[in-house]
Amino acid sequence: MLREEPGAADLLATAREVLLNELLPALPPDKAFAARMVANAMAIAARDAGLDAWEPGALARIAALASDARGFAAAIRAGRFDPGTPDHSAAAALLDDLTRARCVVSAPRALGKG
Amino acid sequence: MDEARRARLTAWLRAASGDPALVIEKMALLSGGAIQQNWAVDVSDGRAWVLRTDNAATLAVSHGRAQEFALLRAAFAAGVTVPEPLFLCEDAAVTGAPFFVMRRVAGTAAAHRVVRSETLGGGREACVRALGRELARIHTIRPPRSDLAFLGEPPVDACRAFVADQRAALDRQRTPRPVLEWGLRHLERTAPPPVPVTLCHNDFRTGNIMLDEQGVTAVLDWEFSLWGDPHADLGWLCAKCWRFGSDAQEAGGIGPRAALYEGYGDVDDARVRWWELGAHIRWASIAVDQAERHISGVERNLELALTGHMVPGLEWEILRMVEVRDAA
Repeated sequence: MLREEPGAADLLATAREVLLNELLPALPPDKAFAARMVANAMAIAARDAGLDAWEPGALARIAALASDARGFAAAIRAGRFDPGTPDHSAAAALLDDLTRARCVVSAPRALGKG
Repeated sequence: MDEARRARLTAWLRAASGDPALVIEKMALLSGGAIQQNWAVDVSDGRAWVLRTDNAATLAVSHGRAQEFALLRAAFAAGVTVPEPLFLCEDAAVTGAPFFVMRRVAGTAAAHRVVRSETLGGGREACVRALGRELARIHTIRPPRSDLAFLGEPPVDACRAFVADQRAALDRQRTPRPVLEWGLRHLERTAPPPVPVTLCHNDFRTGNIMLDEQGVTAVLDWEFSLWGDPHADLGWLCAKCWRFGSDAQEAGGIGPRAALYEGYGDVDDARVRWWELGAHIRWASIAVDQAERHISGVERNLELALTGHMVPGLEWEILRMVEVRDAA
């Protein structure tokens, strides 16, 4: 590794602990909401920084079903992936995987984690 | 609000109320929505009012103050529990933006407090039964209404109109949203036949309803109202994304769905479920809009930025709902 450690994910997680454990209790109550938002933003950024690149693989799978993300969205609207069509399951599985990957960063609780 | 504005406001209120001796004793900014500012105004003779005006940044989809005042008057006349609307000022020169004044009502609307309380609103069951009655009263307001002409022509088929509106909203977005398209396509495939349209509050949810220990004290935030399928309001209230973590209480995180339906009267549950999926799609689309305000630089703001990160969780829920509905 050429980059100095600790990296972004570690720094954000560590800084977040300081914010929640040391700073938040000392803040006036009307600033608690803002502090919690900052903590939330740091948690999202830390998860994002700690994640392997998943987008190239996802884009390749989109390309196999439609031209690109825009084409995929348009094809869904046009009914090309309705239940009973040949690519219905492939489209449903792809949407699940795309959304799961996005939730890992943005909303792990939606997946029943975190 | 500076001295000059306050003096102009006092003069205007004296004329509007017909009380030449009226004095503003105190004005304080209440915690309001992202779109509006609400001021608590204490006026001589013990009058407690709220002045509602526009925030600097206003979403294009919401009604202006004059329209909201008209909606409040219509709701008040229909027996809906709303603060009594008093005066409307469309002249921006008085305080810097149009505003209206209504009576101040006591209570709490804070969603996280409401869903945790066993007693607010008279207890969980009584509260959602009362919310059902409030919605039923709102839905007695039906077109045509010349006082609500700004709502436009009522849709022939509110479900299909919803799908079309949401698609138009997606077409305005910077990035495609395949999951929202997936949900909308499902709604299009499964749209129930049209029903007569009524006024829909269109943001009737925990957080916009003020409660005290006895019951509902005010239904707030009428700026998104439209002519539509009355089940849309029931679906918006029951949608899982508006239960604030209190998922077992299906009516707004507050109480049981059955009690809400009892309070309301005649409910087509399947229609409500259709609109619950619609609610997730609409909220996701609004969240995308809010994040775009931050990303584009129109309004750099952490809360807006974080709202964007709610979209994947909503999309996950949409996929699960479609999957269950398609399997049924």
